[in-house]
Amino acid sequence: MSMVRLTIDGSEVEVPEGTTILKAAEKAGIRIPTLCYHKRLPPIESCNMCIVEIEGEKEPVNSCAAPVSNGLVVTTDSKALHEQRTANLKKILKHHPLDCPICDRAGECELQDIVYELGIEDVPYEPRKVKRDDTYSTSLIRYWADRCIMCGRCVTACRDIKQIGAIEIQGEEENARIVVDPDKCKSCGECLMVCPTGALTENLSRYKGRPWLVKRVQTTCTYCGCGCQFELNVLDNRVIGVTTDVDTGVNQGSLCVKGRFGYEFIGDESRLKKPLIKENGALREASWEEALDTVAEKFKAIRDQHGPDNIAGLTSAKCTNEENFLFQKFMRAVIGTNNVDHCARL
Amino acid sequence: MAESKKMYLNMGPHHPATHGVLRIELELEGETIVNATPRIGYLHRGIEKLAESRNYQQIIPLTDRLDYASASANNMGYCVTVEKLMGIEVPKRAQYLRVIMAELARIMGHHLWIGTHALDIGAMSVVFYAFRDREMIMDINEEISGYRLTPTFFRIGGVAHDATPKFIEMVRDFVKWFPKGLDGYHKLLTENKIWTTRTMDIGTISADEAVNYGFTGPSLRGSGVAYDLRKAFPYSSYDDFDFQIPVGDKGDVYDRYLVRMEEFSQSLKIIDQAIENLPEGPVNVENPWISNPDLDEVQKDISALIRRFMIHAKGFAAPEAEVYQAVEGAKGELGFYLVGDGSEHPYRLKIRSPCFYLASALPRLMVGHMVADAIAIIGSIDVVLGEIDR
Ligand code: SF4
Ligand code: SF4
Ligand code: SF4
Ligand code: FES
Repeated sequence: MSMVRLTIDGSEVEVPEGTTILKAAEKAGIRIPTLCYHKRLPPIESCNMCIVEIEGEKEPVNSCAAPVSNGLVVTTDSKALHEQRTANLKKILKHHPLDCPICDRAGECELQDIVYELGIEDVPYEPRKVKRDDTYSTSLIRYWADRCIMCGRCVTACRDIKQIGAIEIQGEEENARIVVDPDKCKSCGECLMVCPTGALTENLSRYKGRPWLVKRVQTTCTYCGCGCQFELNVLDNRVIGVTTDVDTGVNQGSLCVKGRFGYEFIGDESRLKKPLIKENGALREASWEEALDTVAEKFKAIRDQHGPDNIAGLTSAKCTNEENFLFQKFMRAVIGTNNVDHCARL
Repeated sequence: MAESKKMYLNMGPHHPATHGVLRIELELEGETIVNATPRIGYLHRGIEKLAESRNYQQIIPLTDRLDYASASANNMGYCVTVEKLMGIEVPKRAQYLRVIMAELARIMGHHLWIGTHALDIGAMSVVFYAFRDREMIMDINEEISGYRLTPTFFRIGGVAHDATPKFIEMVRDFVKWFPKGLDGYHKLLTENKIWTTRTMDIGTISADEAVNYGFTGPSLRGSGVAYDLRKAFPYSSYDDFDFQIPVGDKGDVYDRYLVRMEEFSQSLKIIDQAIENLPEGPVNVENPWISNPDLDEVQKDISALIRRFMIHAKGFAAPEAEVYQAVEGAKGELGFYLVGDGSEHPYRLKIRSPCFYLASALPRLMVGHMVADAIAIIGSIDVVLGEIDR
């Protein structure tokens, strides 16, 4: 690949052809403020925060999309740029509800970060002329229309990463909002992951804890064999949510509905903690020793009376590979049957 | 000749006259002290270590709990240090309000000193008058901050909010009343024969020696050294005010007493000038990354809400640099050595506690005196253990 040399804020950078100015600046250790840009998504160019000046060009360009070319001289920060960024951001903020104290994203909200980074001041709240109602994209995902900054990340993620395209933007200017097609939506929560603000929040962990209070424990999803990586958000030894990191694992931050929302069983009260034995139609608690003895005895009786093929084994994706290996070994070598299967499609 | 037997006496940590939890191991021959070893650490809360995991704003309340008898004076020291590290210029009005709070704190600290010092030596009534007047300052603290002893009224870049008209009125009332109150203490003690007998030529330390021991504050000035950081290295507009530095000449308990008694008046003089000439203007720097938007604004403006949220939840970063800055606390040179590492937390905060140096001289001051004088000597250097142990 041929290399391109350009100058950003006075320092020379060499990057492969086709790189964006934003990525080239990153390589040179220069930070350009962004809002709609997301690592995993193609450039959306809806926020105009990442503008930079290019020598010889009249208008600033969006660095998240503009490719580099030989000999470019780029300025990432100037008074004019700062003013324009401030104006762009103020436009986004004008109708933004004063929700941070009750917003689940507060503390890791990218809108908050950029407002603080740019030191934005003096944006008196103006109520919207037409109120945008909150809706549920699915029963698990709430859309807080007023918090939405119309960045379009969710639309792009649903279309480009998940190839579903369930989300679209409807309405113009002030009345614009995102609308989800309930028939297409798979409830995977990809939109949640990419949303920079608290406009999309998931219902299960709502109001349970601030982002900086939780401990994030990286682990592997136990539902299926894909082995997606995610972080369990733990507060007071209780799992209150799932987040992902785009740089980790084969899934690069994406999950399906099970991985993203199926964590409540972990701390569920009704989980079995002791083995139960059914006697005369009623279940009673038993010790492991007694339970295993009973099972072994019954298996043996069935095998001896009716033959091993009258027994089948179904194992679970929640077990490790080693456990599953042992399980099939047990079925084949000890029971003597090939009737072994695995959920893998829970 | 009969062999003299030494007696070991453990004074403190729970002794009313050790002013907190100081323990002193006394070695006695009869009633004469032949050796004294101060033991400290009973009030250690790890303030310096705690500071490393808090953001710059969150450390302010910890400093109230150093010399808790004069909390605002500690706020002053810490805040000017952070401001030096970050290169912040505090608005004039805030500087004046800070001076008022710090001087009130000094008076409060001296109230506690005179009350307990006299009580320790047997002059029972002084404490009642001193605490009557101290109560007035507590009320002032309460009016401005909601807290009586540890107001935490300072913020990085200024103060929490503007003074209320009631605050100004209360300060004026105090300035008007206090000379009379002070006069009362003088009447009870200054020429009191028992008082002078108990304090003159006790715990004497010369200027040279005091300097060598690292004395600062009224205890150093009692030995005749006119060193006061408010004059030597003025901060927070102290050079705007007209005041004197009282000094003693001999350096005994009585001289230190006289110095502090005069400091009451001088502090009052500063407060009077500051409150009457209070400049107009903001009470916090105008810097969107540091100054805390007030609640009114927060309820109307999303950018203010966000900034307030960020400043509180995350804090602001200080540059990678180190500074030392000291102020004249009620007990002496209260210094903060602060190392920033570019994050929201200090890499290290080291506190130079004036009381630590004063307490280290206790053996030197006590040896040769009677047990009863030990009490007078401890009172005269006015140590507060919250600051020594940290
Ligand atoms: S989306 Fe961000 S800025 Fe908006 S209310 Fe939530 S935390 Fe605050
Ligand atoms: S819901 Fe979130 S991701 Fe979608 S447009 Fe609004 S702010 Fe952007
Ligand atoms: S169940 Fe879903 S989230 Fe979990 S590993 Fe499989 S695809 Fe990934
Ligand atoms: S980040 Fe480039 S336009 Fe939004």
